Amino acid sequence: MTDHPSHRLVETGGPNLLEGIFPYTEVPRIPFDGPILEVINGQVVRFDPDEAVRRDLHITDTTFRDGQQARPPYSVEQMVTVYDLLARLGGPNGVIRQTEFFLYTRNDRETIERCRALGHRYPEITGWIRADPGDFKLVRDMGLRETGMLTSCSDYHIFHKLRKDRRKAFDDYLAVVQEAIQNGVRPRCHLEDVTRADIDGFVVPFVARLMELSEPLPEELKVKVRLCDTMGYGISYPGAALPRSIPKLIHRMVHEAGVPPERLEWHGHNDFHKVHINAATCWLYGANALNASLFGFGERTGNPPLEGALIEYAGIKGHSNGADLAVITEIAEYFTRTVGATIPANYPFVGLDFNTTRAGIHADGLRRDERIYSIFDTARILRRPPQVAITDKSGADGVALWVNQHLGLTGDAQLSKIKVHKIARWVMDQYNLHGRTTAISADELAEQVRLHLPEYAAGRR
Amino acid sequence: MSQSVAERVSRVVCEVLKVKAEAVRPGARFGADLGAESIQSVELVAAFEEEFDLDMDEDEALSVQTVGDAVRYIEDCIRRQHG
Repeated sequence: MTDHPSHRLVETGGPNLLEGIFPYTEVPRIPFDGPILEVINGQVVRFDPDEAVRRDLHITDTTFRDGQQARPPYSVEQMVTVYDLLARLGGPNGVIRQTEFFLYTRNDRETIERCRALGHRYPEITGWIRADPGDFKLVRDMGLRETGMLTSCSDYHIFHKLRKDRRKAFDDYLAVVQEAIQNGVRPRCHLEDVTRADIDGFVVPFVARLMELSEPLPEELKVKVRLCDTMGYGISYPGAALPRSIPKLIHRMVHEAGVPPERLEWHGHNDFHKVHINAATCWLYGANALNASLFGFGERTGNPPLEGALIEYAGIKGHSNGADLAVITEIAEYFTRTVGATIPANYPFVGLDFNTTRAGIHADGLRRDERIYSIFDTARILRRPPQVAITDKSGADGVALWVNQHLGLTGDAQLSKIKVHKIARWVMDQYNLHGRTTAISADELAEQVRLHLPEYAAGRR
Repeated sequence: MSQSVAERVSRVVCEVLKVKAEAVRPGARFGADLGAESIQSVELVAAFEEEFDLDMDEDEALSVQTVGDAVRYIEDCIRRQHG
């Protein structure tokens, strides 16, 4: 077998670190070898990832709408601060294009006024209302150009929640959409529970009618369609069947109902741990807008995490298009310190431990070359350098890494694990002799550094 | 009369690993035969550095497996660092 040309070991003069895919100082790229093929209605359909990369992919935010349905209300001050941070995070090119607000309370309206006074172009403020014709006065009075409205489309919702039949729901929704247009407000139809709906019997006819209605309208009034995976049933696997198949759903929206990618959006939920990849799949298969919420806060199990969507964007596009990813860290600090939100320690990109190792063997790797166990240059991209937390599993390697970081020692100036052996022994004794079960705190380690390495502690940078 | 490098190595090994002198033979392996745990290997290297006033390369020193190899490695370090 080893004689097969493709199975021979290829020795190199140096390591091949695949830096085209893993540039380290940037987010890792997501390369594709060619088109994605899917069988839809008996036909082989070709999706071209390169075409997706060229499209105007963007993120829309629902932190203040769905995100707020999952937690105690934010204060006006908090919402204005977070809006300001979102504008910095998304950057001047509108990678975070829009954010939606409730309009019903005085606080809702004051928040919008104050956010608008900040003068940011992005994210554009849009509204969210029930599909009640009277609510358009609220939208118009606030001077908003677009609002989301509920147009639930599964029979669970139509028959059991709204107590209507399909015809009645279809006509009522259309009436509200027309009301919006007459009021000069662009309707964004939220197709609730679409992954549990009759795609042929309701969704395609309804959306096709929306597109027909939009045809004579100026661009700014044409109806947008948000596909709402309300219960998180969406499936990204090729070959999955409707109504759960995301590729098929997107394809039918674009090619049968006639929704252009720039007016098609995905809104997911995380009930089956699929929320992020489902949303990113929509980008690839033909929807330009990915609706997300900071840290995934949203109804029940949450929405696509906005910070994850930004990293995905950078991976797919190969650049962040002006988005300042380091603001992710600033927002996480604001949420945990000021808003009082809880972010799990192991939560990607922002959790306290997302780039913290406790394993000695990983610490050894980090000491030798940070790239071995760091996803990318987290210090540069997120202003969060890799960390080590010290327990009985950290060994002398972990202690050496911690001490060098603590003392600000880099390169040849770094202390070897031989030089920190007394501190490593002290750590081991805490567990082996004293039965400790918690991690060693930074204060305790700093005290050990002062005790055993006083000449370094005195000159700490 | 001063002790040889081998005698001093043997003494340091007995002190750090808490083993009897007769166990510290040239072919004895630090881990498998003398029971050195990971942290003790590091402590052993640190003790050798102190005993012989040497600065050892971490990777080189920790890759030494037996008492006899340690004696040879230390003699080599002494030649390089103390002439």
